[in-house]
Amino acid sequence: MYAFLKKDILVLVRNRTELAVLLAMPFLLIAILGFALSGLLSGNSEALSMEVAIVQEDDEQQGLTRFAEALEKSEMPAAEKRRLREAAEATSPATLLQEILKGESLSSLVKVHEMDAAAAKRALEQEEIVATLTIPEDFTFQTLQKMLLDAGDGSELQLMISDQAATQAEVFQSILDEIVRSLNFESAIFRIGVEAGAEETQPQFGGVESISAAEPISSFQYYTIGMAVMFALFVSGIISSMAYMEKKQFVFQRILLSNHHSFIYLTGKAISAAVIALCQFLILFFFSSLIFRAFELTDLSFWPGMLLIAASLAVCVGALAAFLTSLMMRFNNDTITTVFSGIVVTIFAFLGGSFTPTDNLPVFIQQLGGWTPNGASLQAFLIWAQTQEIGLLWEPLSHVLLVAIALLILSLLIFPGKGEA
Amino acid sequence: MLETEELKKVFKGKVAVEGASLYLDKGEAVGLLGPNGAGKSTTISMISTLLKPTSGDVRLNGKSVIQNPSEMRRVLGIVPQEIALYPELTAYENLKFFGRIYGLSGKALESAIQQSLELVGLAERQKEVVKTYSGGMKRRINIAAAMMHEPEIIIMDEPTVGIDPQSRSHILEMVRRLNREKGLTVLYTSHYMEEVERLCDRVYIMDHGKIIASGTKEELKNILSNEETIWIELNRPNEAFFQELKSFDGTRKAFETEQGIKLILPKGSRVLGKIFQASERHRVQIVNVNVQTPSLEDVFLHLTGRKLRD
Repeated sequence: MYAFLKKDILVLVRNRTELAVLLAMPFLLIAILGFALSGLLSGNSEALSMEVAIVQEDDEQQGLTRFAEALEKSEMPAAEKRRLREAAEATSPATLLQEILKGESLSSLVKVHEMDAAAAKRALEQEEIVATLTIPEDFTFQTLQKMLLDAGDGSELQLMISDQAATQAEVFQSILDEIVRSLNFESAIFRIGVEAGAEETQPQFGGVESISAAEPISSFQYYTIGMAVMFALFVSGIISSMAYMEKKQFVFQRILLSNHHSFIYLTGKAISAAVIALCQFLILFFFSSLIFRAFELTDLSFWPGMLLIAASLAVCVGALAAFLTSLMMRFNNDTITTVFSGIVVTIFAFLGGSFTPTDNLPVFIQQLGGWTPNGASLQAFLIWAQTQEIGLLWEPLSHVLLVAIALLILSLLIFPGKGEA
Repeated sequence: MLETEELKKVFKGKVAVEGASLYLDKGEAVGLLGPNGAGKSTTISMISTLLKPTSGDVRLNGKSVIQNPSEMRRVLGIVPQEIALYPELTAYENLKFFGRIYGLSGKALESAIQQSLELVGLAERQKEVVKTYSGGMKRRINIAAAMMHEPEIIIMDEPTVGIDPQSRSHILEMVRRLNREKGLTVLYTSHYMEEVERLCDRVYIMDHGKIIASGTKEELKNILSNEETIWIELNRPNEAFFQELKSFDGTRKAFETEQGIKLILPKGSRVLGKIFQASERHRVQIVNVNVQTPSLEDVFLHLTGRKLRD
């Protein structure tokens, strides 16, 4: 079996066109799609990361004191005055704003520097920062008046943005808008609660809502996986195409004459395809991690799971190569391989989500994609990359292995018997 | 050593080989002649156990190999018409692969590779990839691959097709040496009659799936022992002249080529005068006239009505 494997690898390595299909093309696509669609996927904030300045002109303590004094002068019941004073201290808007901007959830995207107005202006001019957020004088007092008492006109944050980094500045503005909208909404809810006399209502300002507990996936991570699982399928096509050439050039017959059963030959093809697919996976992931920093190469707890999934996919690729070889031997026609590589792989790539996540596609397409070798293994890779929980891999990997078993059985049934090949 | 008995192969209702019976004694070189589509390759495939016959049997040392092909495969080497090699691999890597699949390893494998390369005269170019070789060199490595496991019988299916005269001569000499010096049993098919005449002790002639004649070269030529061949070389073909010669009393066969006309007539036919008279009538210039004893080519023409390369 070693002789078959070594020969197949040597033949492949000497064939530049096929090597380009298996290694250069997916790598190129990872680069193109990774950069071009970096904003599509939530995890990749590197391209949008920014530095901003906060200019604090507001005296927060003074604002709180003034708000307390204003409350005392009002004709509210004492208990209500106490509740509003406590709420003001707990939810001081200037502090809240800075906590959100400097918080963990935005730390990878926004780096905040506190500066005075002159330094901020200079930094903006020198493009060291993309925006300056000024918290104006009396901001705390006027905002609390508006938020808790619905009195006055409130206060406005002042934002200066750089023309040179329009995208980042726009993103920062959107973040601010979202924070302000959230504060306004929460304060409105609080006021309704106060007016209704609710005892336990507490304003809950700020914070970013978390949709999922899973780690986000960057575009480079997604497309490294997506391209690796897609281009692994080409290995099957190339190996079966090599088998066709072997038959056409009488090498296959020469192998049979060496007293090897044709099933040994078929097994050799499956093993060659599996090993080559595994090598392809290792090469793509290594270089993608090295160059695009898709994955952390030194994270030793991460790679065994990836290897397990890749090995399962490699087994399936081997079974697929055996199936295509059997079909080609049975019908003595390599159009089967051409159709597979030209059309079937593209359809599988679409269904399996290699080009774009399938979340927005109809459920039946998602389910269908979950049964393609590339789609099922892509799901497994994503689950592992996000959760690293081995138990969650069972479902997608069982799909991959079931498809592999089915393909192997079909290959044995289809492969021509003695005297037919 | 090897014999076939009434071999028959039918493909989708079409008979490719019918009742082919032949034998090869140990150390013998036997030619299998036939025009394209005669059934030679199908017969070879059945003998080499690659194709199961519809009926009939192939026996090696008296034992049938149809159900148990492994013994036959162990002693048999096949040189196919195709270059059955990996063009991307070097000659050395090709031979190593074919040696390995025959179970050779270590020193035995290395020794077999070097012996085979020496045999075909390509030891010095063993590290070059096969696709860079000339047609003749590829054919020689094709033979070397079949010799890796030291077979006792070798079947060569037109091993000199499409190569230069020098490589052809090298291959013929090599096969001759293997047969005469090492006692290798050879079944040789070719389109070149002179190759078969030079190498083979006995000849089988196949046409339309049947063996239509067999015997030693002399026995086959004796088929035409009562006949003689007249070769008339012309400066240019002339159809009317050919038709007149064909209509001579006693003409058994007449063939026209670009160079001239071949007539097979009963021995002692006195037609030379009539040929020259006809040439004057048809204004044909005769360049040369040669009265020959029949060759194997003539026998082949006589039996099949076709030239070997038709």
